[in-house]
Amino acid sequence: MRANVWSGRNTVQVENVPDPRILNDRDAIVKVTSTAICGSDLHLYDGYIPTMKRGDILGHEFMGEVVETGKGVGNLQVGDRVVVPFPIACGDCWSCRHELYSVCENSNPNAGIAEKMFGHPTAGIFGYSHITGGYAGGQAEYARVPYADVGPIKIEDDLPDDQVLFLSDIFPTGYFGADLCDIEGGEVIAVFGAGPVGQFAIASAILLGAERVIAIDQYEYRLQMARGKAGATDSINFSENPDIVEQLKDMTGGRGPDAVIDAVGMEAAHGHGALHAVDRVKQSTRSESDRGHALRDAILACRPGGIVSVIGVYGGLLDKFPSGAFMNKGLQLRAGQCHVQKYTRPLYERIRDGQIDPSFVVTHRLGLDQAPDGYETFKHKQDECVKVVLTP
Amino acid sequence: MSARASITVGRAREEVERLWQSPEYRREYIAGSGADVTFADAPGDRGTEVHVDLAVAESGKLARLATRLGRGYSRAKVKDDLRRFKQHVETGVIARSEGSPVGERVERKLRQRPAQPLNDSELEKAGV
Repeated sequence: MRANVWSGRNTVQVENVPDPRILNDRDAIVKVTSTAICGSDLHLYDGYIPTMKRGDILGHEFMGEVVETGKGVGNLQVGDRVVVPFPIACGDCWSCRHELYSVCENSNPNAGIAEKMFGHPTAGIFGYSHITGGYAGGQAEYARVPYADVGPIKIEDDLPDDQVLFLSDIFPTGYFGADLCDIEGGEVIAVFGAGPVGQFAIASAILLGAERVIAIDQYEYRLQMARGKAGATDSINFSENPDIVEQLKDMTGGRGPDAVIDAVGMEAAHGHGALHAVDRVKQSTRSESDRGHALRDAILACRPGGIVSVIGVYGGLLDKFPSGAFMNKGLQLRAGQCHVQKYTRPLYERIRDGQIDPSFVVTHRLGLDQAPDGYETFKHKQDECVKVVLTP
Repeated sequence: MSARASITVGRAREEVERLWQSPEYRREYIAGSGADVTFADAPGDRGTEVHVDLAVAESGKLARLATRLGRGYSRAKVKDDLRRFKQHVETGVIARSEGSPVGERVERKLRQRPAQPLNDSELEKAGV
């Protein structure tokens, strides 16, 4: 089959690779009909996530048609149309039984490496390095789906792929970020990053009852989408004024946002000149893996007693964590890879009810063979790119 | 370095002890090491803790020989064994990934294999 594989920093290529096969009774094989490039794929592309190997098939956002099932998969049949959540979860361990699917205790065959890095192993993830299991990804014609009796959600109506594909990751991830903010109604929520996940965090905060949502980015076209499509009430373009913390205070009568969502992660673009330079140097010498302007500013801007919700991906260590602000303001720091399986069903219902049409983020549609162009366009934010969907 | 390793398996102690002894669930590496294995109830609904103490194994004759040959018992392997036991008991399967189907070049294909278990040099490379 054809698949998009990682072949080194800043290089992906579409190659012929062996078809996946059933390895366990609880596996299924899915013929991919749509797959997307995620912002976190760019961390792999840029070489910031260790343990990638040449030839690893990328992609953790995909959907398609079931073409084969192992004998332990009773809930799916050949021909079913499914969306596959990006965390691979067994459904049986203590974490899964408590809906903490992204820290499934059993799905990561390389748990030893993950434990070394994070203290504990985390769940397997499709196409996301060998720390998360070395599973082949979905930017391919076919994908093997382990624990297929747990993860995939069956799409039972004729909604087009573009509307349901993002149940695999970015819609639940954005929603999870908003869900962590304990929104009850009337809050002001600030969202760092108006990329695809940020767009869904904004839309979800509004769905959950936030009164104002402030989108923060350096690209005006993304802020336009945030205001026009996702429902942001205000925006900050930090390419015009880099002092995000002061602007947030101005916009909230000095209080600061009730909760702040970091939908940026380890490759933050902005930052106070000198600190940004320090971060870049430390990253290049491998003495710091994450640069964290977004997280630092989120902590500084959040109102006392508020919540900082981290859904942007971090991979290792971060310097200059503002521990004084974090502790003295009594903040709550909440984080995680999204527990997608917890949200797929209710969010699918919201899509069916017409409360949201997730396809608003799609700006580029390409064939699978054009994946390398897609990565370049997305990485460099060319052509007002927000989200690239690939069709095998 | 600690010579202990443990894991929590989400089943009652009676069942975990029984499965640990059964041939189908037997973990060869730990069994072969002669390590001391004990079981304890985990709090709440968390199941059963399995504790492995390698110090016992390392004081044995065989272990001393192995250590002399530079092949002492590996705590990382004990942990892998524990994880596989837990996976087997809780999910009925052992987690496996495909590894890297590395493109169409023959010399790459020759090296293809399932990603697990990692071999010694890979474990060393990963710093485990």
